[in-house]
Amino acid sequence: MSKELNKTTEDIMSKIHKRQIKMRPRAYFIFGYILAIAGLVFSFITSIFFVGITRFNLRSHGPMGEYRLEQLLSTFSWWMPLLAILGLITGIWLLRKYDFSYKINFKLLIIGLVASILLAGFVIDMTGLNDLWLNRGQGQGYRQGQIRKLNNISIPNNN
Amino acid sequence: MFEYENKTDEEVVLYIQSKDQEVYFVIVERYQAKLMRYVNSILHDKAKIADILQETFIKAFINLRSFDNKKKFSSWIYRIAHNEAINAIKKNQKEVSFEEDFDIQSNEDITDNFEKKEIASKVEKCISKMSLIYSEPLILYGVEEKSYEEISDILRIPMGTVATRISRAKILMKNICQKN
Repeated sequence: MSKELNKTTEDIMSKIHKRQIKMRPRAYFIFGYILAIAGLVFSFITSIFFVGITRFNLRSHGPMGEYRLEQLLSTFSWWMPLLAILGLITGIWLLRKYDFSYKINFKLLIIGLVASILLAGFVIDMTGLNDLWLNRGQGQGYRQGQIRKLNNISIPNNN
Repeated sequence: MFEYENKTDEEVVLYIQSKDQEVYFVIVERYQAKLMRYVNSILHDKAKIADILQETFIKAFINLRSFDNKKKFSSWIYRIAHNEAINAIKKNQKEVSFEEDFDIQSNEDITDNFEKKEIASKVEKCISKMSLIYSEPLILYGVEEKSYEEISDILRIPMGTVATRISRAKILMKNICQKN
């Protein structure tokens, strides 16, 4: 057995010496951490946004509510929840892959994340933060885009 | 010249990471007997154990720069060995026990006389009949002399679960050994 152990040392050291195996640069792992965190942050933000939009869709019925809801659903940007789910899965996969998730209970993490997304989305919607955002900056563009979609209004060409 | 004899694992790793990769042999020599014994407690196939051991050291080397020097190196490398062994079990879809005549020669050999060897053999037989979720923490605690915290790091389970599993494993072992 000691011969086998010596052989293991020799084999590994020979591979290192011949540069058949190389240490990954630190930047590789830093990039991994950044990707993982970015993935989680992105999924969190898009999920909150999705909760807000969903609540908006559900309460804005009024007269011809069913028709409007159908219209809303047909014009809804489905890439948003898809991106959120994708971001969430990628984030957790990266967290596992890069192994800095010491003692994280992933079931609890997912439940906690979903709960906090729903809560944050609800709070943002209740406090009117989303309306504030929609009335300012990029939100205005998004809102106009949605209105155009709903009314099938094309942008007149000024040229 | 790097005097590695009195250095801790973490100091040696820091030196390998930043200065000389050739010093990696120190890590291999310090851990190969320990990891071979540990992997052997999970798997059975001699040839496979050697492969897993080599794969563990290669993976540890490739990812060495991801190791946080503030943490314990032994937990980190045991975790890699654990993952490799579990992957091998999943590949074969069968869990195997200790090989009766399989022994590891090292400075830390606890079976240095006949009596001890016999006791060790009996203990191994009892442990081999246990489920891996109980036998692994027990081996890490009893044979590898790891603390609850280190076992928790290696197996990625909470410390409370480690304590529960070790306690249940002791009861299980008592029952199994008494039957034999």
